[in-house]
Amino acid sequence: MIKIETLTVQFGGVRPLDALDGEFKAPICGLIGPNGAGKTTLLNVLSGFVSPAKGSVSLDDIALRNLSPVRRVIAGLRRTFQQELVVDELSARDNIQAIADHISPTRQAAQEEIDRAMEFVGLTPRANVLGRQLNLYERRMIEIGKTLIGKPKAILLDEPGAGLNETETERLRALLVQIPEKFGAQLVLIDHDADLIASVCIETMVLDFGKLLAFGPTRAVLDDPVVRRAYLGTA
Amino acid sequence: MIEKTETLPMASAAPTMPAIPEVTPMLRYAAIVVTIFVISGVIALTSGGYWLSNFTQAYCFALALSGCALLYGQLGLVSLCQWALVGVGAWISLRFYHYVHPPFFVTILVGGVGASAVGMIWGLPALRMRGLYLALVTLMLAGAFQTVITVTSFPVGGPGILGQVGASGNDRILMARPGFASSDTAYFLYVAFVSTLAFLLVEAHRRAKPGRAWALIRKSEQMAMASGVKVVFYKAWAFALSGFIAGVAGALLAGLFGQLDAGNFAPTDSIVIFIGTLLGGVDVWLGAFLGGVLTRFVPALLIDFNVNAYVGLIFFGAALMLALRDPVGIGGVLTALAERLYAKYMTRRGQ
Repeated sequence: MIKIETLTVQFGGVRPLDALDGEFKAPICGLIGPNGAGKTTLLNVLSGFVSPAKGSVSLDDIALRNLSPVRRVIAGLRRTFQQELVVDELSARDNIQAIADHISPTRQAAQEEIDRAMEFVGLTPRANVLGRQLNLYERRMIEIGKTLIGKPKAILLDEPGAGLNETETERLRALLVQIPEKFGAQLVLIDHDADLIASVCIETMVLDFGKLLAFGPTRAVLDDPVVRRAYLGTA
Repeated sequence: MIEKTETLPMASAAPTMPAIPEVTPMLRYAAIVVTIFVISGVIALTSGGYWLSNFTQAYCFALALSGCALLYGQLGLVSLCQWALVGVGAWISLRFYHYVHPPFFVTILVGGVGASAVGMIWGLPALRMRGLYLALVTLMLAGAFQTVITVTSFPVGGPGILGQVGASGNDRILMARPGFASSDTAYFLYVAFVSTLAFLLVEAHRRAKPGRAWALIRKSEQMAMASGVKVVFYKAWAFALSGFIAGVAGALLAGLFGQLDAGNFAPTDSIVIFIGTLLGGVDVWLGAFLGGVLTRFVPALLIDFNVNAYVGLIFFGAALMLALRDPVGIGGVLTALAERLYAKYMTRRGQ
């Protein structure tokens, strides 16, 4: 469970996050908002790349503020980035092994976890293919596979469906809904695809100019006229 | 809600490229051993005197290049103090040799470890800077080394920490080669053997945990940290390994001549090493090997043929332009060709 308390981030005169409060309790949570709302900044604060001016964040009651990004990974936090970052020169398996190297307790445990993650994302037959030979969907799957290593507690996914076609997005949905049950991890999902959010997320937080606009059950949030006006552009 | 499925077959409208038959790590290691063995065998059988000395130096140069290629190829860091690190390794091994008179292989290891420690310290700026700034800082370090070594010179068996002898220099003691490799040919083969071990060491790093960590760091430091990689530690590791290999090269050079001169460690040589690294290619061991031979052997060849220095410059300029046009370098092109032939062979065999 991720808890955010009066979180404020200040970059000079700009406040990407302003006294934000919230608690992600559901197994799959959405984080939406227009461009510049502060979604990625929140993910960066959670993963330790941005230091807040005020406030605190915690994961399962572990205060994250004083932990380095690497320590947060060890604490069970995983994330993907908006831009896919698969290493072209490493094979699909090695891309996943690269995280297992640092967080799996033993070599055997690492191999088992990698096998499980590869199978889950459907990349077992492509294990030895180099990153540069994989298509976008496969590369996205590698990134999700990486987050499943080392008994994750929470996984932050920054637009995992970006660039995928309808069939691929459908597959992605089917995959995401299984993660909490199969891997015991909570998902926090940023995406601009409202359909994806609606079909996958149980509760959703909406940000607008760094402030909390709405937070609650996804359907109710997406139907909220204030949210529709600010985010979806319709009343 | 979406129905849960047990297996998720690949679904993608995007084209899926077929897998190329994998070149296993063992095959890569075997390729290193066989290639160096064959080339060194031919050189040992056909060369002597001046040429053998040049090839031995070329192998030392290749080792320095492999460290440079490791930093640039794996982490994108431009280090322009690689030849100075070779000098540091040479100084430490000479100093150790004159104090302790250990077996030659131990001298090499000490030179490597010493240069590795210095390399790590010199790599500290890389933790904060990259690109041109790092290149300038490392070049300044190379310049600083030359200034210091010009004043202090290399140890020649005299007393004190600097190990210098009187002005006449009559009491100089030369560093002895290993007993079984005292002849030029035997020593060349010894250098080839140590070079093979060093190339295998670098390749083993590339294919294992550190190599994967370096690959993540090069792609994105934030992504590497989000994957649990301790970025500072692995950068320091790369500098330590690169320094170790340079130190080994320095010790081998010291063994070749018995003593060294400060004039041999100009900062410009570190730049030449970087150019050679680009020419040879940074992603494969063969790049460093060919780059070393090109930058050390070809100039000797041009001198032997009385080719004007400006023609040599044009030659290297053209080669550099070629390397910039195709960043995989000569070694990369040859390795890709070999891998394609291997893939074709394996596919045909499978059919």
